[in-house]
Amino acid sequence: MPSPLTHDDPQAIGPYLPLARLGSGGMGTVYLARTPGGRTVALKTMHARIASDPAFRTRFRLETDAARVVGERYGAGVVDADARAETPWLATEYVLGPPLDDAVALCGPLPERTVRALGAALCGALGQLHASDVVHRDLKPSNILVTAYGPKVIDFGIARAAGDDRLTRIGVAVGTPAFMSPEQASGQEHSAAGDVFALAGLLVFAATGRPPFGHGQAADLLYRVQYTDPDLTGVPGGLAPVLAQCLDKNPFRRPATRDLGAELHDGAGEFADHLPDMLLADIARRATEVWQITPQRLPAPPEETETAVPTAPARLSRRRLLIGAGAAALAVAGAGAGAWAWSERGGAGPAPQPTAGPGGSQLPRKKLDSDWQIQVADPPDDTVPAQLHAVDNLVTLVAGKGLGGIVAETGHIQFASDQMESTWQVATDGKRLIRLVQAEGSENNAGKPGGFPLLLASVDLLTGKAAAPFAEFTDFNGVLPENQLVCTAEGVAYVAAGRGKFSDEGFLASQSWYLFAVDISSGKRLWTTPLPARRPGSGRLYFLSATVVGRRLVSLQEANDGSVRAVARDIRTGAVRWDRPLDGVGPDRVRQPLAVDDDHLYVGTGRLRALRLSDGNIAWDTRSGRPGATYGPPVVKDDFVYAAQKGHGLVGLSGTGGAVMWEERGGQGAQADTTAPPVIGPNYMYSKRGSELWAIAWNSTGAPVRSFKTTGDRFIAHEASEQIIALGGKFLAAFPLQ
Amino acid sequence: MHATEGATGVAAGGEAGRAGSARRRVGPYTLITALDEPRTQVPVPERRYIARRSDGRDTVLLSLPHPGGDPRRFLAEAEGSRYLLGPCAVPATAFAAPGEAAWHARPYVPVLPLPTALAVHGGPLPERTVRALGSALAETLAVLHGQGLTFAGVSPAAVLLAADGPRLSCFGAVRAAAPDGTPRSGLPGLEAGSLPPEQASGGRPRPLGDVYALGATLAYAATGHTTPERDELPAAFRTVVGRCLARDPGARPPLAELIASLAGETAADPGTLLAPGWLPGRVIAALAHQSAAVLMAEIPVEAVPVSQPN
Repeated sequence: MPSPLTHDDPQAIGPYLPLARLGSGGMGTVYLARTPGGRTVALKTMHARIASDPAFRTRFRLETDAARVVGERYGAGVVDADARAETPWLATEYVLGPPLDDAVALCGPLPERTVRALGAALCGALGQLHASDVVHRDLKPSNILVTAYGPKVIDFGIARAAGDDRLTRIGVAVGTPAFMSPEQASGQEHSAAGDVFALAGLLVFAATGRPPFGHGQAADLLYRVQYTDPDLTGVPGGLAPVLAQCLDKNPFRRPATRDLGAELHDGAGEFADHLPDMLLADIARRATEVWQITPQRLPAPPEETETAVPTAPARLSRRRLLIGAGAAALAVAGAGAGAWAWSERGGAGPAPQPTAGPGGSQLPRKKLDSDWQIQVADPPDDTVPAQLHAVDNLVTLVAGKGLGGIVAETGHIQFASDQMESTWQVATDGKRLIRLVQAEGSENNAGKPGGFPLLLASVDLLTGKAAAPFAEFTDFNGVLPENQLVCTAEGVAYVAAGRGKFSDEGFLASQSWYLFAVDISSGKRLWTTPLPARRPGSGRLYFLSATVVGRRLVSLQEANDGSVRAVARDIRTGAVRWDRPLDGVGPDRVRQPLAVDDDHLYVGTGRLRALRLSDGNIAWDTRSGRPGATYGPPVVKDDFVYAAQKGHGLVGLSGTGGAVMWEERGGQGAQADTTAPPVIGPNYMYSKRGSELWAIAWNSTGAPVRSFKTTGDRFIAHEASEQIIALGGKFLAAFPLQ
Repeated sequence: MHATEGATGVAAGGEAGRAGSARRRVGPYTLITALDEPRTQVPVPERRYIARRSDGRDTVLLSLPHPGGDPRRFLAEAEGSRYLLGPCAVPATAFAAPGEAAWHARPYVPVLPLPTALAVHGGPLPERTVRALGSALAETLAVLHGQGLTFAGVSPAAVLLAADGPRLSCFGAVRAAAPDGTPRSGLPGLEAGSLPPEQASGGRPRPLGDVYALGATLAYAATGHTTPERDELPAAFRTVVGRCLARDPGARPPLAELIASLAGETAADPGTLLAPGWLPGRVIAALAHQSAAVLMAEIPVEAVPVSQPN
């Protein structure tokens, strides 16, 4: 059903005034919109960030062409379109009828007479499309709107003219596995007969409520579509044979649409005569309710000011901190484990004080900007901040002497342990938290001759307690302060560890250092590979950041001379596949989660560049396209790379080519912080400016829409709970991720 | 008075989308299309249109008096309709300014006049539909009578079918047609079969006249004419509708009895009568078609008036 406009929806699109939102997706938003003369239409728009890609514009134009070909009898009549506008738009009639999937959800399996009438009408629609040399290629229940006068086929997003490879070249044509033809599933030509296959699948769905090849993973569906018989259980006896014929794996044995239409229905009566009461009532409701929409625009969220929560004096950890080594960073406020001071939303914390609005205007009572916040003490030293990890429903961080686990949604402190000494002693694959544990008796006795075994254990996410170690290695010294749990993925933990005597004065010449992989389930070491010797006395850890992509352990390492290198190792052998120096990158600025996708590692902090994961070569570098521009750390989301460009604001680049697809305009982009990567939400991207975290909309204006006061300087997305977790300046806090 | 078959008038779903042709203006509105299908040949007390305010925002059902009608009486009844309550009431919400040619209007929802509904359905409506609309109309009249008002204008054309139930328009059509004491037979807009005999002869409209008119209207819905032979009516409400049509007002049944007989064996809750299925498919199709056509209609946009320097 239509929903109100948001405050940042455009005031006008072409000659249209948006009235309500009908839907929104990855590509754009569909509005109910009206001309000054009162004509009311469905207005489909394309996100500006996508529209900046000429390939997507082409797709939009082709969709418009296909919608025009199908016409208003069998499709949503095209009223007007502008594929060249900054925000391309397509205005069609507002179709009064539910999508077929909603219709089946509402009425249950449809009666045979309805299925037959629907099928015959769809044969007419496909006949008209095919006669114009257009193949739909993505027929599915949600793309069929059932009106009182017959079905209308919509969403020609991947329809294409026969022989027109413009879209396949773009590589966005995917189809829907549940209703795909076998030839499409196997990557071959999907012709008109493929649409017949999909149509029969639709009719099976209409008659039974189930697609003919069931539900499940795309890969399973693709297999079943190609190799197994359709499930026609529940299809009325008279319909089953003809639908089975349409679902033949061999496209040449499927009937033509004209013959199929005649077979399904004799054309007697009007279409509405064949519809069940519930479906008719839904159509009538839609025809009426569209007149009862009052244009509404949600107000912009009031600008809020965070209320200072009195900070308990921080007690600094006495333990010597590893200077510049990414070690313990935040001391927990208060004394000792569990003494986390916090103020939760509506909780027992001090009541937020109202703050006067700008110019003393009568704004509503201010409330806390954050959904929750927990007080943590200042970093005890001038070291780098702790790393935040999203683990299942928790966010965890090492602060001073404690490992804290906080429920991301509520801010509830699940656990706070005192067994932790260094950030690099904990790692997660997002589900499981593992850590290095200090062997019993090692406290106050680290220098014991022979050292202590290196122990690895899983952390119980309810209690924060380490389970019995899953691996124990006596050939490494488990108490060396420079040991690092580098990362964990797919049941394997990667550890950098040393052999030799304990020292709290940095590396020793007598130590030898290795990187090894250990299987978490068996505790077996998979491989061990040496690391170059560190300069004696240095406290600089080997690894700045690491992650696993496909078969590669990709990492940023700090060399003895303070330079940063990107290194990729084979996860099966530990062999270095490539090792590339990154000029102009400071080690302290890249201690951030790595920005990688299947093909590239992206490095910012200076120029923004993409390194091919296959060979480490530079795939692209902003030095050529935008000489002089400098960027903060990037983040990857859905094939795009985002980063703050210094003095300019956020930019989104194509991961494959580095082309700028979107850039922020106006607002406070020039003040964008370039020390932390932006956080990308479904509707907004978040970037810090001054003391505020700004939400910037993905719309044509690219303008900031709201801001949150924050002391944080490090932000991660906790997607499961739809929260942004901010850390810094005495607080851990959460803001809505939208 | 048989409904013609296959009415395809604009309001039942024909062309309504042409912009730019010379369109008639009434008050602040531009007419989009006539609501009534002339081929049904059922008298309508008002000239009814779907119209839109010049700013494109408000779409309304607009009524004008017949030429020769008394605009003051017409507007007085519209004024009175503002206070109507009940599930089917359609109070006027906008009126002609003093001195302006008479009109009144209320917000648009897709509706088919009862005669048009019979035309698109292809004949008399199913018993279920008649029960549902009869029950809702009787309920509304009962509320109205409780308010101390008489509708004085129930007729086939006054009943509008919307998706969620009937609407009763043309409030006071009988009073507007001529003052009490003046014979009203044959006056324009008054449908003879649904005009109670005592009102036809000039009597002041009273609640029991509404019962007569409702009986005639239900007879029309069930048979296609307002003066049916007794055996044409569905057996279930043959007797009660027959009694509504008694010449002697005192012999007509109270509305409660009519409501009870229309509810028949269905549950006491009259809402269930309007559950999915109460309207035939083709009537719904025509409502959807009308809605789509009016959504698509575009009125010419006025040039922005240039402010006069003074």
